[in-house]
This record gives sequence, C-alpha cells and structure tokens, in this order.
Amino acid sequence: MKIVVLTKQVPDTNSDRKLNLTTGLTERDASDPVPDEINERALESALKYRDAGGDVEVIVLTIGNDVTKSARKLLSMGADSAVIVEDGSLAGADMVQTAKVLAAALRRIGFDLVLAGNESTDGRGGVVPAMLAELLGLPLLPSLDEIQIAVDAVSGEVQVDGGSLSLRSPLPAVASVTERSAEARFPNFKGIMQAKKKPVTTLSLADLGIVAGPEAPGARSVMVSALERPAKQAGPKIVDDGTAADKLADFLASNRLL
Amino acid sequence: MGAPAPTPEQTATPPSPVAASSPTPPAAKPPAPNRPVWVKPVLTAAVALVAALLVVLVARWLRTLPAIDGFIGQYPGHVALPESAPTGIPAWLAWQHFLNMFFMVLIIRTGIQVRRTQRPAAYWTRKNTGLLKTRRPPKKISLDLWLHLTLDFLWALNGIVFMVLLFATGQWMRITPTSWDVFPNAASALLQYASLDWPTENGWVNYNSLQVLAYFATVFIAAPLSLITGLRMSNVWPADAKRLNRFYPVELARAVHFPVMGYFVAFIAVHVFLVFFTGVLANLNHMYASNDGASWAGFWVFAASLAVVAAAWLLARPLFLRPLAALTGSVTK
Repeated sequence: MKIVVLTKQVPDTNSDRKLNLTTGLTERDASDPVPDEINERALESALKYRDAGGDVEVIVLTIGNDVTKSARKLLSMGADSAVIVEDGSLAGADMVQTAKVLAAALRRIGFDLVLAGNESTDGRGGVVPAMLAELLGLPLLPSLDEIQIAVDAVSGEVQVDGGSLSLRSPLPAVASVTERSAEARFPNFKGIMQAKKKPVTTLSLADLGIVAGPEAPGARSVMVSALERPAKQAGPKIVDDGTAADKLADFLASNRLL
Repeated sequence: MGAPAPTPEQTATPPSPVAASSPTPPAAKPPAPNRPVWVKPVLTAAVALVAALLVVLVARWLRTLPAIDGFIGQYPGHVALPESAPTGIPAWLAWQHFLNMFFMVLIIRTGIQVRRTQRPAAYWTRKNTGLLKTRRPPKKISLDLWLHLTLDFLWALNGIVFMVLLFATGQWMRITPTSWDVFPNAASALLQYASLDWPTENGWVNYNSLQVLAYFATVFIAAPLSLITGLRMSNVWPADAKRLNRFYPVELARAVHFPVMGYFVAFIAVHVFLVFFTGVLANLNHMYASNDGASWAGFWVFAASLAVVAAAWLLARPLFLRPLAALTGSVTK
C-alpha cells in the first residue's frame, strides 16, 4: 500500500508573517519556513497506520523552491521518501494550478491513498484536496476529525452543520484531516539520522510533462489588492460608577454587536 | 502554492470607541542621541577603571595610617580555627563541589530560559502513577521548566548530602564564623584586597574571614533562600493553603528568587577570579585533586569538569531532553 501525504512549506505561524503589498504574495523570506503543522498531523495518521502493523510506504509530496529542509523534517518523523516538484514557473501559482501539478505528480508516483491537511496556515484556501479529487476522478473524504485507514478502505468522521457524518470509501481515495485528527510526533535522534539517507526526488514540470503556473493558459486567480492589517487600537475603558451596564449596552449597540 | 485569494473591499465599518476619551497614543520615545554605539560601554569602562583606581589609592593611603596599620596587625584577616577543625579538603568535598558547579551552571541557564522563552519547544505533564501519585491532576509545564526543576531537585539532593557530610566531618567549622572576630578580620582582609597587597593565605588549612563570610552566606543563606522561593513558585507548593499563602505570597518569592540568582552569579564571578589570581594551581589542587601540592593535577581535573559542564550545556536541547522527560511524563507540543 502506498500513502502519499501532501505537504506545504509555510511561514511559521509563530513568527511575523508578511504579505508583499505589491504582488499580494506571501513574503517567504520574512519568516522561518516550516512544514505546515496540519501536514504533520496528516503524516502522523499515515505513520500510526504503519505502527499498527500496516504494510505501507509513506511518501511526502510537496511543491516549492528550496523546501528540502522541511521535507527532511517530515522524513525524520518517519516518512519513507519525499518527492519535490520544483520549477521556477510555478511561483505564484494559484490553487487550480497547484492541484494540476499535484495530480500529475501523483499519477507518476502511484498511490492508494492521498492524505492532506484541510487547509494550509498561510493561504487557508482549503480546496486543493477537492480539486485534486476532481482531477483524479476519485472520492474525497474532506476535513476528517478522525481517520481510520484499512487495507482496502478509508473512513472517518466529519463535522457538518447540525451533526457529524461518518464517511467511508474504498481505495484509492483522497482524504483531508483537521487539526483534531492526530497529535504529530516529535522526530527523535534516530529519525533525524535516518532522514539524511532517505531518498528525496526532485521533479520539474518537464519531468511531469505538463505546463502549469500563473503563465499557463486558461483562467487564473489574480490578487486585486492587499492591505496591511491596521494596528490594533486600544478600546475604551469602562469603570463601574453605577452606569457601567448602560455604557456597555450602548457600546454594543453603537457597534451593531447586539 | 496557494496564491492568496483577492481581498474583498472592506465594507463593514470597524467598531469605533464609544467613550469620548479616545486612547492617547503612546508617548514617542526621545530620539536616540546621534553617537556611535561603542561610546557608552567605553565611557562606563573608563569610569569604572577610575573608580577602581581611586579605591586602590584610598586603601593604600589608609594603610599608611598608624591606626589602620595597627588594626591590620591585630586582625590579620583570618580567625584561628577551633582545635578540632580538620585540615585539607577531602575527596567527597571535591566531588560535591564539582556536582554543585555542574548543577548551578545549568540551573542558572534554564532559569533564564524559563523567564525568557516565549514559545517553549515542548511541554511535559507528569505521569500520575506509581510513587508520585497525587489527588489533583498534574499541571502541564514547559520542557525548560521541567529541566530547571529536575536539576533543582538533584542540586537540593546534592546539597543535603553536602550538609550532612559537612557536619559529620567537622568541615562546617571552616566556612562558619565561630567568633565575632570574623567581622573586623573580614574588614581587614577587604582593605588588604583593595590595596592590592593581598592577604597571604592557605586555603588548604584556613580561609580568610571574607571567604568564611562569603561561603557561609552562599551555603547557608543564598542556597536555602533560592530553594524556598523556587518551591513557592513551583507546582509542588499547596496552592489552596490560604493562610500559609497570605503569610508567604508568591509575589514575594518572585521578587526574591531572581536577585538571589544575581547574588550567585556575582559570587561565582568573584570566586573564580580570586581562585585564578591567588595561586591557581594550588587552589585547583585543593578543590579538584584533594592535595596541597603544586602539580597540574587539579588543573586537569578542573578542565575535564568544565568539559563535562560544556557537554551537558550543549546536549540540553529539546531533541535529547524529550526522550528523558518522556520517562516520567508525557511530552507534547
């Protein structure tokens, strides 16, 4: 069995993240690059299946320039190998283009199950898994809070308005997990040493035989405008001199919060 | 790649303050004076040097006065030990001293890490099973604090063994004032140090009174103080003991704990300086090789002990601490 975990290198959410106000793209040099935490959780689900005795090869797949270090971190957690799609023409690619490249790479790698996070912490688009399922013509189990992987099927729980759904699909399939799915393990010393020897394959778009990226023909998303978040203003202080309740009610009413 | 989606134009009006008193912007800092960064440290160093020179000159002048000379003649800087006092530094004391140094260095470092780290690399929650089973569930603490507390425990254990042996062997007499003469003698020793005409001493047999006071303060005042204030801030302390906590509030412990660390650092700085400038080989032989010779043996043991501390310093990182901490609890993000 082959599980491919989709991963993305993102700016560390605990550092200052910046948007380039001219291009509207993330400033990737402005903060520490790390593998997205949600991908670590997805990988954890795959590793748990292996720890439980599943006969599985776990491959991480990522797109980006200069992402080997964060791929190695995922290998040190226990993934078997990594595939990186690196191509200059992909800079600024939107989610449709991203899904197109991932689909091509997945066809080339081969897989039984594709695992992804429900949304990245930087773009927060959350539709790449769905686009991928569409492109590959496979069922999607989206935003699973719990996931169970079996030899021939994947199942899980997803929260929807007013309740939760139990989903189950035969393999091959695409599934995405939420941050409630699993707590990612820490890489240990042995894992870090082993990760240095694990295979990392780098592919270009030419290797995949496709054309993609912002310059590729067809519809594309364009950033219309980008604004820096305004500095937070200190709110008014209300001291209770007997009229605090009225003042609070006025405050809520005048801000249309009632 | 996730190109950001187009930002919708802002339509909703942001909440506006309701009260008339609009928040005043923070007062702008005065512009930094336009001078190179090295000026301040150089000026500080120059002032300190001049002050030190003045101290030496005043001390030298004082020693020319007959009254002061007579005082130093009467109080040479050390008090004779009781007859029963032991001579020399036994091997157990050398070992205790090394362990103490080892723990102190790492405790000060982890203590500063606990204060400064804003986002700990991991957290640790004690396993509530076996010997250490408590009614209340254990609280989650940062890995930094876990290491700090673990070292504290080992340091305290080392301290208890040290105290027991100190009193069992009579070594306590060497670092405890046994007569009021210790104060004039300490003043005399201080004056002799200040005049750069240092008191002749033999640390193998007897410490000068200034040393006695400093060692006594460190062992019997600063160390227990840091322990009791640290305990007050830790999760071990009973948080619900209302009367006890009114009498000894945690704010008091916080206010004392850090300055005590400052005392330890100052003590260590002066201690190491004097060890190196009052006959380094002999001093290191005393404390690291348990002999009164002039060989390099003590120096090499000291060097090896420094290497051990440095290795522990370098290895005390989350990668290696996590498996250790996982032995007694669960380690999480």
